[in-house]
Amino acid sequence: MLHNVRDNYIISVKDHVSQFEEKSFRKLASNDFKSWPSPREETWRLSRLGVLSRKEITPIKPNFKKQISSVSKFKGSKIIRFVDGALREDLSSKLPPGSSLNILGEEDSLICFHKFKNSNLKNHPSTNVSFSCTPSIVKLTIEKDVKITDLFEIIYEGGDNNLSVHPALYIELKDNSSITIIERFNHLSSLIMPLQLVELKKNASMNSLKIFNDNQQSYNLSANCTFLSEKSNYNSFSLIKGGLFTRSETHAYLTGENCNLNLNGVYLSSKNQHHDLTTAIYHDVPNCTSKQIVRGVLGGKATGVFQGKVRVALDAQKTDGQQMSRAILLSENAIANAKPELEIYADDVICAHGATVGEIDDEQLFYLKSRGISEKNAKQILITAFLRDIINESVEKSIQNFVFEEAELALSEIISKEI
Amino acid sequence: MSLLEIKNAKLKLDDKDILKGLSLSVSKGEVHAIMGPNGSGKSTLSYMLAGREGYELESGEVFLEGQSLSNMEADERARSGLFLAFQYPVELPGVGGMSFLREAVNSRRKFLGEEELDHLAFVKESRKVASKMFVKDEMLKRAVNVGFSGGEKKRFEILQMAMLKPKVSILDETDSGLDVDALKIVSDGVNAQRNDDNAIVVITHYQRLLDYIVPDFVHILSDGSIIKSGGPELALEVEKNGYAGLINAA
Ligand SMILES: Nc1ncnc2c1ncn2[C@@H]1O[C@H](COP(=O)(O)OP(=O)(O)OP(=O)(O)O)[C@@H](O)[C@H]1O
Ligand SMILES: [Mg+2]
Repeated sequence: MLHNVRDNYIISVKDHVSQFEEKSFRKLASNDFKSWPSPREETWRLSRLGVLSRKEITPIKPNFKKQISSVSKFKGSKIIRFVDGALREDLSSKLPPGSSLNILGEEDSLICFHKFKNSNLKNHPSTNVSFSCTPSIVKLTIEKDVKITDLFEIIYEGGDNNLSVHPALYIELKDNSSITIIERFNHLSSLIMPLQLVELKKNASMNSLKIFNDNQQSYNLSANCTFLSEKSNYNSFSLIKGGLFTRSETHAYLTGENCNLNLNGVYLSSKNQHHDLTTAIYHDVPNCTSKQIVRGVLGGKATGVFQGKVRVALDAQKTDGQQMSRAILLSENAIANAKPELEIYADDVICAHGATVGEIDDEQLFYLKSRGISEKNAKQILITAFLRDIINESVEKSIQNFVFEEAELALSEIISKEI
Repeated sequence: MSLLEIKNAKLKLDDKDILKGLSLSVSKGEVHAIMGPNGSGKSTLSYMLAGREGYELESGEVFLEGQSLSNMEADERARSGLFLAFQYPVELPGVGGMSFLREAVNSRRKFLGEEELDHLAFVKESRKVASKMFVKDEMLKRAVNVGFSGGEKKRFEILQMAMLKPKVSILDETDSGLDVDALKIVSDGVNAQRNDDNAIVVITHYQRLLDYIVPDFVHILSDGSIIKSGGPELALEVEKNGYAGLINAA
């Protein structure tokens, strides 16, 4: 029989879990990893994984002695480090009262696994592969009524060529708690498959900032599953700038009334990068709001994808759902795709969406030039403003400048080549 | 020598003749008013002068202080001293008014060989000019034109003019959308900038503006060319009788 290279990774995942006992959640997960998603599957049509199936990749065995290279960007932040996908308690901060980190045992891991498998991320490759291969599922708990004022900074790094890494984090905010978490993805790996489960209990509030900045050869297929209870508030912003192929997929379930979700993002793409923000928002109950602003700037031969599904169930009356996406192409060879998908079954709702892809607005450009500002500067001013605008609207004041500087680095890379 | 010289300008938009051989000569120290029916080509003329893409002349030529504009882009023209106050000023979300003004002013100063203004000097200068235009400091902190009322936008245009000190200013319907008090403020702002070295072209539908900014010449633009020129009395005639008589006579 001909050796089928397409099965290599599947075999190495099965190898990896063979050491675990039959009833383990790892076995269950690996049984469900039968193939990479086909481009015929609607949500993978614009982000194809074909190349991945022809690569020789194996799941990493974490090295708990590995030296770290990423430094903290915030003075006084509480740092949680994942290296090679594994929590490094020795390199993490002592957490403030009311917050704790735990490695989940078999039973709790299984519960976490089922929460993913009951969501529409059940067939996401990272769900099946990372539950098979993660060193452990780490849980961050914020206790009831605790408002964390320290900034939490989670830094993911490690991995290597031809290896895949599988960090898995479960964040639970109990009633009335709140926190701001910054996550930075700085891997040096061929394949990165982060899993994140977020549960916001009644009246809990979380600001989440994710910066995807893995190395230039890597594939990052991040899968995030978020549940919002009554009166909870999830404010999330993703900045995608690194990797060869980065797809951040988030499914948010609004399961309690009067909760509020912001799911914003920016991708900055150059060379042959492929960046994808895929989101699904499920309004299952009445009186909730969700808002999404997504922006992209692309140069070179980069491609950008935004897929935004919003489903408003029959019972979810008085839903307010807004979605806006805009991409600016600075090169003729760059491509941006926007695919809004609204499924609205309730009748008393406000839902608006708009998607545009195009060049810099020529009226704005002319206005600036008519004031003596050179074309190059004018373009830079407009694109910078395009990002400033969404960053200021999306993230807390205290971290706006940090996010903007992070974005500016990638932006100057794109601009220097195109204008 | 004329400060601004337009010679037999012809221009098409989408294959449609819009300017059909327009000539105009503006000398230092002069104020010219251009009046004309809707759609006669006034804004097209202003965009053409400012160098908007797509508004290149098919034939004819324009000179600023004797220098042909045909190979100059909008930004070069502006740095050389041409200014257009837009009929519809453009909103720039995320672009702060102060940094926008500073970038513009310093581009012009650099061109003139003057020293660029540092942040402090600039803030001082802009506050001074803004207070004359009754533009609140708070407005300069906002994004350019975003959420400004119609009148505020026009005031902000004239504030830019005052900061840039252009040779030739074209004011495209700067009076429309202004209440009586604002009209007075804006006109005072414009008049304060009149001197023997510069010139102003005001495009307007209303004689009323010309009571405040008194022109030396009034031109009637109809169907892409100037059909009649005269003194301020011509504006009064338009006000009284409309354009029909003038157009038929031409
Ligand atoms: N892109 C275009 N393609 C074709 N025709 C155009 C285009 N832009 C403007 N026009 C036409 O050119 C003509 C002149 O328009 P312009 O805006 O210059 O008029 P105006 O004199 O400024 O009018 P108003 O007094 O209403 O401001 C109009 O008939 C207009 O419809
Ligand atoms: Mg006009």
